[in-house]
Amino acid sequence: MSVLASTGVPTAWYVARAAGLVAFAFLTASVWLGLAMSTKLLSNRRQKTLFAWHQTLMWTALSMLVLHGAALILDPVMHFGLQAVVVPGLAPWRPVAVGSGVVAGWLALTLAVSFQVRRRIGQKRWRLLHYASFGAFALALGHAINLGTDLQGARGLFFAAVALGPVLWLAFARILMPRASARARAPRAPVRTDGAAAVPEADRAPVAA
Amino acid sequence: MRTVWAAVVSVWALFAVVAVLAWTRQPNASPAPSPTAVVIKGPGGKSQVVLVPSTTSTAAHATTRTSPVPAG
Repeated sequence: MSVLASTGVPTAWYVARAAGLVAFAFLTASVWLGLAMSTKLLSNRRQKTLFAWHQTLMWTALSMLVLHGAALILDPVMHFGLQAVVVPGLAPWRPVAVGSGVVAGWLALTLAVSFQVRRRIGQKRWRLLHYASFGAFALALGHAINLGTDLQGARGLFFAAVALGPVLWLAFARILMPRASARARAPRAPVRTDGAAAVPEADRAPVAA
Repeated sequence: MRTVWAAVVSVWALFAVVAVLAWTRQPNASPAPSPTAVVIKGPGGKSQVVLVPSTTSTAAHATTRTSPVPAG
């Protein structure tokens, strides 16, 4: 890399930008897939495979994130140290916007690790923790739009629309669909065979939202 | 196998983006051609400043060959 740097090619800067974009692409794909699975839009038969892909995409995004940080540390112009890349708010340049990316990275790492300890922490806590993925995605998008050299102006808006559109659509579907599926799963009134009247609709147990 | 696929796709994506960034890198802007001021002496020894417009293209044509320098 130093050889290329001596030729005037800002290799570390290119790698930092490219790795950041690829990391965000994989993170977005992972969020899309996770939401699509939770809304049951994808086939139930392949849930196990899709779930495995969901994890793999997240870990791939994290590996690209590590490359993004490492390239920024090696970049001779940015003067980012290890602390600036790891600790939010310590960056010498636009600390808030950089810090949002750092927090997004830590959240993504927490979510990726949570897959491994899912049984230990329990399904309910794991699901609650998984809501942090929305925060991670929002922070990463804000970081990319604010600081991305390649995402200024109309290009940034297009990028945000492409990434955010499916997330919003799937999130709304996620909010609305569980009610429908819960209603479908709600216990029906037992069929009496002894001639007595069935339980009226109003007396049935309320359907959980 | 899944991990291998993800790694291959991510590395190729990285190379592709780096290539696009390098390709679209703005070259150093060459200075715009500007007229050159030349001081000449007119009739009667009077100095005059004449602006000589510079040519926009100095590159030699690909098929042009210079004539050989005459010997002697």
